Amino acid sequence: MRLLGDTNIDFMKYRKFWIIISLVLIAVFFFAVFTIHFKQGIDFAGGTQLTLRFRDKPQVDQLRSLLAAAGLGDAEIQRFGDESANEVIIKTAVAKGTEEGSRERIVNALNRFYNQGETGKIDLNQAGADAIIQALGGAAPGTAAPAAPGGLAVPVASPQAAVADALIKERRKDNDLFRDWNAVARTPGLTPAALATLRDKAFLGEYAVPGVENVGPQIGKELRRQGFWAVALSLLGMLAYIGLRFELRFGIGAVMASIHDVLVTLGLFILMRFELNLTTVAAFLTLIGYSTNDTVVIFDRVRENMRKNRRKPLIEVMNESINQTLSRTIMTGGLTMLTVAALLALGGDVLRGFAFVMTVGIIVGTYSSVYVASPFALLWEQLFGSKSRIRGEVTGTPPAGAKAAAAAGARSATAAGASARAAGSGGGAKTAASPPATPPGSRPASDSTPRPPRAAAGRRRSGRR
Amino acid sequence: MKRNLLWRGLLILATILASVAAATPPQQKINLGLDLRGGMRLVLQVHTEDALRAETDGDMARLAQQVKDDSQGKLEIKPQRTGDTRILVPGLTPDAKTAVIEAAKRVLSRFNHSDQGDSVTFDMFPGDVTKLRDQSVNQAVQTIRNRIDAYGVTEPVIQASSNNRIVVQLPGVDDFDRVRKLIKNTAFLEFRITVYPKDGAHPVTREDLLAHFGGKVPDDVEVVPAQRSERDAGAPVPLFYAVEKRRTVTGRDLRNARPALGQMNQPIVEFSLTPDGAKAFSTLTGEHVGSGLAIVLDGTVVSAPRINSRISDSGIIEGSFTQKEVEDLSTVLRSGALPASITYLQETTVGPSLGRDSIREGLRAGIVGTALVVLVMLLYYQLSGVNAISALVLNVLLLFGGMGLFHSTLTLPGIAGVILTIGMAVDANVLVFERIREELRAGRTVRSAIDMGFERAFTSIIDTHVTTLISAMFLFQFGTGPIKGFAVTLVIGLLASLYTSVFVSRWIFDLVLSRRKVATLSI
Repeated sequence: MRLLGDTNIDFMKYRKFWIIISLVLIAVFFFAVFTIHFKQGIDFAGGTQLTLRFRDKPQVDQLRSLLAAAGLGDAEIQRFGDESANEVIIKTAVAKGTEEGSRERIVNALNRFYNQGETGKIDLNQAGADAIIQALGGAAPGTAAPAAPGGLAVPVASPQAAVADALIKERRKDNDLFRDWNAVARTPGLTPAALATLRDKAFLGEYAVPGVENVGPQIGKELRRQGFWAVALSLLGMLAYIGLRFELRFGIGAVMASIHDVLVTLGLFILMRFELNLTTVAAFLTLIGYSTNDTVVIFDRVRENMRKNRRKPLIEVMNESINQTLSRTIMTGGLTMLTVAALLALGGDVLRGFAFVMTVGIIVGTYSSVYVASPFALLWEQLFGSKSRIRGEVTGTPPAGAKAAAAAGARSATAAGASARAAGSGGGAKTAASPPATPPGSRPASDSTPRPPRAAAGRRRSGRR
Repeated sequence: MKRNLLWRGLLILATILASVAAATPPQQKINLGLDLRGGMRLVLQVHTEDALRAETDGDMARLAQQVKDDSQGKLEIKPQRTGDTRILVPGLTPDAKTAVIEAAKRVLSRFNHSDQGDSVTFDMFPGDVTKLRDQSVNQAVQTIRNRIDAYGVTEPVIQASSNNRIVVQLPGVDDFDRVRKLIKNTAFLEFRITVYPKDGAHPVTREDLLAHFGGKVPDDVEVVPAQRSERDAGAPVPLFYAVEKRRTVTGRDLRNARPALGQMNQPIVEFSLTPDGAKAFSTLTGEHVGSGLAIVLDGTVVSAPRINSRISDSGIIEGSFTQKEVEDLSTVLRSGALPASITYLQETTVGPSLGRDSIREGLRAGIVGTALVVLVMLLYYQLSGVNAISALVLNVLLLFGGMGLFHSTLTLPGIAGVILTIGMAVDANVLVFERIREELRAGRTVRSAIDMGFERAFTSIIDTHVTTLISAMFLFQFGTGPIKGFAVTLVIGLLASLYTSVFVSRWIFDLVLSRRKVATLSI
């Protein structure tokens, strides 16, 4: 089975069009960044984030008004996980005086409504071992301990402690939340007497708090900075590697493609209201590696073809190489995308942002390795081609005298001619389908002015090997 | 050729066995991260300046004592600590200055001095400052470890991190309040002499204090809030003590502490001091009989009993404590008071149920993703797809073997890393297969197409792996726990895929070709 036959698409022909498309997409990014308040995860923004699991379906509006009444009006509340899980995430920003978290404030605010009238009892859905032991009438841990060197006694000795342990284990089995006293009664080793004591001293709260995250403002600031530098340095690392392994212009092309991928994906990411956090920054870092990886395969082929045919201008070599590797590009991108798309669809809320970045990033990265990387390598050549030529001369041919210049002129003329033929035939094939395309030959002619140095540079470079 | 195949086959078999050995039983060999198994992760900031100040204060007291001893009591200096590690001795005659510098040579080995007019300034050497900071962080790590060990957590991780921080990871612990209290009850204990009210009988209001000092608190006096006890919980305003700034005896000088009952049968803590601590304590209390001795715990005066006589090596701490508080306080004092105060920078608690959900969802996504990849590979590359899938299976095996070998931790992003690795591992196979197809189209025989395919795709495979490794390296550098887990998974997966796609997949082709003459390749 083959996805594609031998293709011969002139990818480079419309490169300006595609660069404009990319610029538009990047403009979307800037639009997104500057007009939409993008969401930062708790790890970057700092603050407190609680994951609450309720016995019954929680009403977000009600939670909001409860928090507002407690002066936590700016809290963000969102549903989390499966519909049936009755889970909610509450996020509050760092405020002065709450650098160490506002868990208690939130819990107290909610308790005023959800667990009202239960003062003096412990909440069996939130209590830790100590509180349960005390409720059962056991001694607080530590008292029984004859000063063991170094510390507090482990509360396993007393029967109360064993019961508390079993209760907590049972609660974990029940998703951290006892739904009713029957669930409590199922705890192995819980005597009827102990159960009666518990029913007297404890109550089953309406919700549990399985997840807590507090991030101080300082950490958030540092992580933001580190995230930025990791992305920037990793791009530089790519530039350095590809610059060394290939040539500077290819490095530039690959890095431009990576930047493009990151910016476009980030734009969509923000538009889709995803949250920027450590994990999603990790996804962007991975994306940089992946998108470069995709580009490198094409450049590898370009290098190989340049060696094979030293006279061909770079633009044609690129077209040829992209065509040759096209089915590969689509296959690898497609396969990896399958896995991350599965992650996006089924991987749960925590990884959704990550999976989104990877899924979109791989699509954009596949596109960019064709339409951004090579055109930029080419553009770099057009703008700074003379530099590469100088390098070529230092390592290769002697300084250009009149003779060399004349020879170069002659060679470039033939190169331009060759490209005119090639492009002409390619264009011809296309015109069959779309008559109003530019007349064959006119483009190469207008393009031929900047081409000679490029052709010459390509030749010298390959001659160097 | 046959022999060669055999050896390669054996090598592959060996890697399979090694991976299986390294990864089984998975429950033991593959550590689950806190985000998957549940637990707490804390990042603590050690305020090392507390330790620096305490050390400087101690040295300052020694200097004053030395000067006094050297001059047979004729010369009394009034050194002040200005800044964390600077001692200023003002108002000196030239002779006194010489005497001070002479004395400093003996007791202030960690300081250099500079003279300005009638004063001498001593600054701690930067090297010693760093050493002290590191020491106090390490001591804090040790102290926290003692307390956590006493609590009975399995496999806790407590390590010093950059910027005087400590990272604490407690798998399986979700008793938020207990741990928090245990660690946070740092009990940074200091004994200070009260200045106002002189006998420490009762704390006073801010206005009272300002009135006493005429609006400005002297440089060598510090205002410390008093503990808000149950008794005066209803007190309308916060109350304070004015205490001497210098602290000569701190929690570091404690030898032991235990709960006891006081004269009124109220819970108290009895403590005893190390020989050095006892000497300093004896001097301090001897000089201030009649003053109050403020017992400052984590920046709050818990009580300020009057010093009735010189106390040398043991004493009691009274405050408005409950029995439980006294026990906890004794514990933290005994297991070593922290050398400096601590604040929480970050705190994450994940209930085991959340982790379970994550594992379930990750597994589901992984199975579906893998199934899709397998399906596409089989449809598209047919029998060669089987080759790629064998390599993929081995890849996943190697990945878990590698994780078992390096004791790395599987985190939630790490699961994403495994899934991503499955997607990327076949990339290398695709590179090779596409190349083989090309070579076949160019009219090569199966044998030479396979040889050329692997040979030519090799540089691309190396380049693609290196670029991804570079980004994984920065990921590792950047990430905290879960992200590091992701980076490690990615790196091991990449290395495994390099091996399987180049070496194993090639071997499978060779093996098949050696068995029979193949005219066409199912690819």
